[in-house]
Amino acid sequence: MKIDLLEKIEGEAYLEFKTDGDEIVDVRVLFPHFRGVENILVGKDAWDALVINPRVCGICGHAHLQATASLLESIYRIEITQKAQLIREITRFCEIIQNHLKWCYLVIFQELQIPYDFTTMHQTIALVNKLLALFSGQWPHSAYAIPGGVTCDPTALDIVKAKQIRAQIQSNIFKLFGSFEDPKKLEKDLKKLYETLHAKDLLSVGIGLNRFITLSQDSYVENVKILNKKKRKTKLRYIKEIGQSDSYAKNVTYNNRFYETGPLARLLQNPDFFIRYFYRKYKDSIFTRIIARIYEINILIKKIEHHLNSIDLNQLSVVEIEKKDGEGAISIEAARGSLVHKAIIAEGKIENYSIITPTQWNLSNGSSDNPSSIQKAIIGLQDRKIANLIFRSFDICSVCTTH
Amino acid sequence: MKNRLVWLQGVTCNGNSHSFLNLPTLSSFLQTFEILYHPLLPSLLTLEQLPDANPDILVVEGGLRRGWPKADTDLFDLFMVLAQRAKRVVVVGSCAVYGGIFKEYDQEITGVLFDKEKKSKLYDQFSHKTINIPGCPANPEWIAFGLESDTMHLDDLHRPKELFAVTVHSGCTRNEYFEWKVDAKGFGLKEGCLFYEQGCQGPYTHGSCNTILWNEINSKTRSGTPCFGCTEPTFPQKDLFKTKTYMGIPAKMPLGVPKRAYLTITGVAKSFFIPRLNKRLIDED
Ligand code: SF4
Ligand code: SF4
Repeated sequence: MKIDLLEKIEGEAYLEFKTDGDEIVDVRVLFPHFRGVENILVGKDAWDALVINPRVCGICGHAHLQATASLLESIYRIEITQKAQLIREITRFCEIIQNHLKWCYLVIFQELQIPYDFTTMHQTIALVNKLLALFSGQWPHSAYAIPGGVTCDPTALDIVKAKQIRAQIQSNIFKLFGSFEDPKKLEKDLKKLYETLHAKDLLSVGIGLNRFITLSQDSYVENVKILNKKKRKTKLRYIKEIGQSDSYAKNVTYNNRFYETGPLARLLQNPDFFIRYFYRKYKDSIFTRIIARIYEINILIKKIEHHLNSIDLNQLSVVEIEKKDGEGAISIEAARGSLVHKAIIAEGKIENYSIITPTQWNLSNGSSDNPSSIQKAIIGLQDRKIANLIFRSFDICSVCTTH
Repeated sequence: MKNRLVWLQGVTCNGNSHSFLNLPTLSSFLQTFEILYHPLLPSLLTLEQLPDANPDILVVEGGLRRGWPKADTDLFDLFMVLAQRAKRVVVVGSCAVYGGIFKEYDQEITGVLFDKEKKSKLYDQFSHKTINIPGCPANPEWIAFGLESDTMHLDDLHRPKELFAVTVHSGCTRNEYFEWKVDAKGFGLKEGCLFYEQGCQGPYTHGSCNTILWNEINSKTRSGTPCFGCTEPTFPQKDLFKTKTYMGIPAKMPLGVPKRAYLTITGVAKSFFIPRLNKRLIDED
């Protein structure tokens, strides 16, 4: 048994390799930390979850906030205005973009020792979070999404400002990655990435399960699983979470099977020429996974433009609500994939709260005949350094996973 | 010689690490330090090499707890080794300052100098070289100030007065409504103050959220969310979106304001009806 520490993954994890000679015959991922967020929630006023849940994670707290607000809305049986919906999506897409940029450069480029323009990368991240904060008040850890809508009340001036910031982000992204126009002619940092992986013969390694899942539904994704190119609707009741004795992370399956969630799963839903090109060539390999995440930045920045042009400021930010007790489950797309929140509310207080995070989907520990996506991608390799890189290609979040 | 910096994470959500990455001038700021270790930024050392590090400045993010694994060591031991060697300790975020939100689950988690508002066992040993930058998370500009400045006036909780002598209420765009006691009546509006019904803790929370804006652009209260008092040892309180009142009077007074003075002033303020403050701003002519 060989154990590697994996750090700089929003916390730490251990990889436990079983080898036969040099060959990796099995691998398990162990998360050593636990902070007890689900326990902290019990007995609290349901709305306090809007403040506590973002603290699950410093990089996708906003997704946790929106999941909480949507969950309460599903229990109260209310619908928010299109304006609030669009504003929530704009800020959530911003959070996803800044995550992808940090991961691309601080994790992947760092690991592959590819030089990059730190200043432009950093300015872009700060700008994306500024656009986010224009609506949400601050990033990280805002609590501006509440049952019924959003607490902000943007003016035409804010929208103009938002459009200017967005345009600057778009031009920075072009400066970093080029136009994403032709998958056969990668530009700038995408080209560097391709060439580096090509030189190391890594383009096709790390092939996973080829089973994908997105559990949410919004203007960007559908709740479907994808198997052999066929899409089928998903229902949250088929999700099963099982505890493990040696790790604080729980395994999670859909209909007893492991799936991969995340940007690649989201992009494969649509007949998107750019990602399909790489998917056909390299399957669900490390490279396809990386390029999907970067390409998603480009998709989302355009979605944000569309949303900013579609907001009707005359609509309400918050609709009137009536608080109710009950039980609910909701999923929302976070940067790393589908995030699920479930709760039981009784007399306005939280009786039970359960969170399933994207990393749990991708990094569950299955068995050798029923491996999770990450295990499938690793088993059979000879080199633990490559295995580490494959792990990172899933964009792991340790703090989320162990909440 | 550049100051050598180690950024150590304890029991945390990583929120302060990410907050710091929003510092607008980060690129040039980093030129003035040698980053031995940071959990996100490129660093010279790995986590496993940290016990051998010799930092000038130790940044601590997240609560301390014995028995919390940190590579091959115990978080607490690693903290002790690094803090003894460091010339200055900069404690960022309310978890590292007071124990924070995860203490609600695990009482053994503490802050570096404080356990909630009480001095911790480490206080005597480290208080002479430690400053606290609370907040959940701390604003990046506050963190940068803490890292850069070594001449500080500190309050009783070791927070720099330059940042924490003001309250969040100072600079809030809703102040006029506060003065004339006009309540926000709900969420999602620019008009009205969130103190009377929605739970805003701005008037008694030390912090410069409305004077040094977040992400250079906004704040919770400006965007319609109440202040939850995250810079104070009492964070997180309960029922955060409601104002606790006794017979219609807010249970907690604005900082330093005696109840009698408050009642007199608000009584007078309420007796005037200011039409301008009871309409939507855009409807006013
Ligand atoms: S909303 Fe809060 S911070 Fe703003 S004026 Fe009212 S009490 Fe003060
Ligand atoms: S406004 Fe209040 S809750 Fe928000 S960051 Fe500032 S001190 Fe913390």
